[in-house]
Amino acid sequence: MNLLLAEDDALLADALQQQLLNASFKVEWAENGAVAEYLLKKQDFDIAILDLGLPMVDGLTVLKRVREAGRTLPILVLTALDALEHRVAGLQAGADDYLTKPFDFPELEARLHALLRRGRPASQAQQLRGLTLDRAARRASIAGEPVELSPREWTLLDLLLTERDRVVTKAQIAEAWGSDDGGSLEVYIHRLRKKLEGSGLAVRTVRGLGYLLEATSSP
Amino acid sequence: MSKPAGRSLHRQLLLWLLLPQIVLWGVAAFGAYRVASRHADELVDASLLQAARALARQIRPTASGLFVDLPRSAQDILSVNPADPDERVIYMVSSPPGQLLLGDARMPAPPGAPRLNEPVFFDATVPEPMRVVSLDLQLAAAGAPDSALRVQIARSSAPRELLARRMLLDTALPLSLLIALMSMGVWAGIRKGLKPLAELQQQMEGRRADALDPVQLQAAPPEVRALAGAVNELLGQVQHSLATQRRFISDAAHQLRTPLAGLKSQAELALEATSDPALRQRLERVRESAVRSARLVSQLLTLARAEPEAVAAQGWAAVDCGRLVREVAADGVPRALAAGCDLGVEVVHEGLSVQGVEVLLREALINLIDNAVRYAGTGATITVKLRRAGDDVWIDVEDNGPGLALDLRERAFERFVRGSAHGEGCGLGLAIVREIAERHGGSAELLPAAPKGCIARLTLPAA
Repeated sequence: MNLLLAEDDALLADALQQQLLNASFKVEWAENGAVAEYLLKKQDFDIAILDLGLPMVDGLTVLKRVREAGRTLPILVLTALDALEHRVAGLQAGADDYLTKPFDFPELEARLHALLRRGRPASQAQQLRGLTLDRAARRASIAGEPVELSPREWTLLDLLLTERDRVVTKAQIAEAWGSDDGGSLEVYIHRLRKKLEGSGLAVRTVRGLGYLLEATSSP
Repeated sequence: MSKPAGRSLHRQLLLWLLLPQIVLWGVAAFGAYRVASRHADELVDASLLQAARALARQIRPTASGLFVDLPRSAQDILSVNPADPDERVIYMVSSPPGQLLLGDARMPAPPGAPRLNEPVFFDATVPEPMRVVSLDLQLAAAGAPDSALRVQIARSSAPRELLARRMLLDTALPLSLLIALMSMGVWAGIRKGLKPLAELQQQMEGRRADALDPVQLQAAPPEVRALAGAVNELLGQVQHSLATQRRFISDAAHQLRTPLAGLKSQAELALEATSDPALRQRLERVRESAVRSARLVSQLLTLARAEPEAVAAQGWAAVDCGRLVREVAADGVPRALAAGCDLGVEVVHEGLSVQGVEVLLREALINLIDNAVRYAGTGATITVKLRRAGDDVWIDVEDNGPGLALDLRERAFERFVRGSAHGEGCGLGLAIVREIAERHGGSAELLPAAPKGCIARLTLPAA
């Protein structure tokens, strides 16, 4: 996966490059806005991490110019500015996501993957622990064994997997189902839990909020 | 001004405008009385002299002595004034002077040595106060020896005083009325004149220490406008320097974030690269310290955003509490799970909302949840409860952890006081929560939970 890292702080850029490398990204580093803009326009990257406070040309301008040049790659803005107006300005200029420094690398990695997934909607098979979800074929399997899922169960699992480690509210589920069938939700969750046994994944109930898909300690 | 706390301007103006008037009034009244009584004296004296001369003309010297012819007309002069029955007149003719010839023997002698033909006027008590004229004459006639003669007429002085008093009253009464009217005018004028000052005072008194908006004075006179202008200029300078300082803090905090992120990332990389437990422990400390510093920076920025002007700039709106609680708690669940805590939500009353800045309220709740996760410990159950309590909304973050000692409960809201020596907290969390709660007209407190644990309560006025 080709990634452009535009960050002027050498210490951070150095560490990030290494961490991204460890996460199997191929990293190109731009230490100022002008270089970042040039590289983004001339080369094909799968994704870019852009600092807003870049020397020569600031990140927001780079972002606008790159979008004007018709580049549609996902760009994650990484910045020290966290006020709401900066966030809004970044997203309006064409950023796909926004992360404030300092950050936890796993979160950055997760967001990068989420952005890359969004770029290839529903075509990719998704795998987590023992579970594989082939969205194109609408087939699920656990440890290679196919699992039968009803349409509602499929939608539910798809949603939980996309939002894994994050809370999926009952309202989100109802929206995904296209109906407000709150009463039977627990039945579906119960069935899904049974089917996920042995996958290394579990559906956790979050009191008063909803559900969350998490990896259990024993895969 | 010699007195440390000056007298009210209102009272001073009143005093200095009215006191000279009253003194002048007194002087004028006294002067008028003097003039009036002098005129009265002159009038009385003239009539007395006229009477004395008339009486003297009736005395003719003869060879055998003095002959007094006191006809009816002359007696009339000496008789009681019909207009004033109280007026008493007595007379005495003496020759040689001092030796009674005719009239009342009680008549006192004139003071000093009177000269011929020069009338002497004096006051005497005979036995009542009287005005006396004494006229010494030398009568000469053919065939008779020259004889010295003294004619004295006294008239009770009561009418004279009455006259003077009446004249005084006639002048003083309108003058007093004038003074009273003028005092009222002055009083009203001072009130009206000082009104802009009173307005200025009101505006300054009702002000919070952090309210730096300019003073508003419409149609104020130039003097007060100058004062208000000076105050406004000062307020503007204070505001400007405060803003500069805040911008500096904000910029510095932002600038600190990038190197801290680098430090943290480098430490994490180094952690991955080594398996030496001693080294790993040290690196873990470096990482922790970077995280704590970064957190402190974030909290400082939040605190800056909770400052009044910043709050005013961020836009006040109705905030749906149910949505806020659910969203913030949902975001907190992964962090709680990582710390081994069971975080849940209990919305007791639906449809609650408050007026405020959502970003700040969100920040306050995040701080409360993070606090609970940090201090309740592994295996704790944390519940965010939303409910209505009278006119207030309560957002409680309740845990069943070890709880907090009573003396720490209040201290926990002070800046840089931490509940425990370890962890990534910087001791600003609860201070921020309280600051934000108070900006919204609410409060924040820590209460003990039953049977154990702690309730962090955010009380906000319901919209």
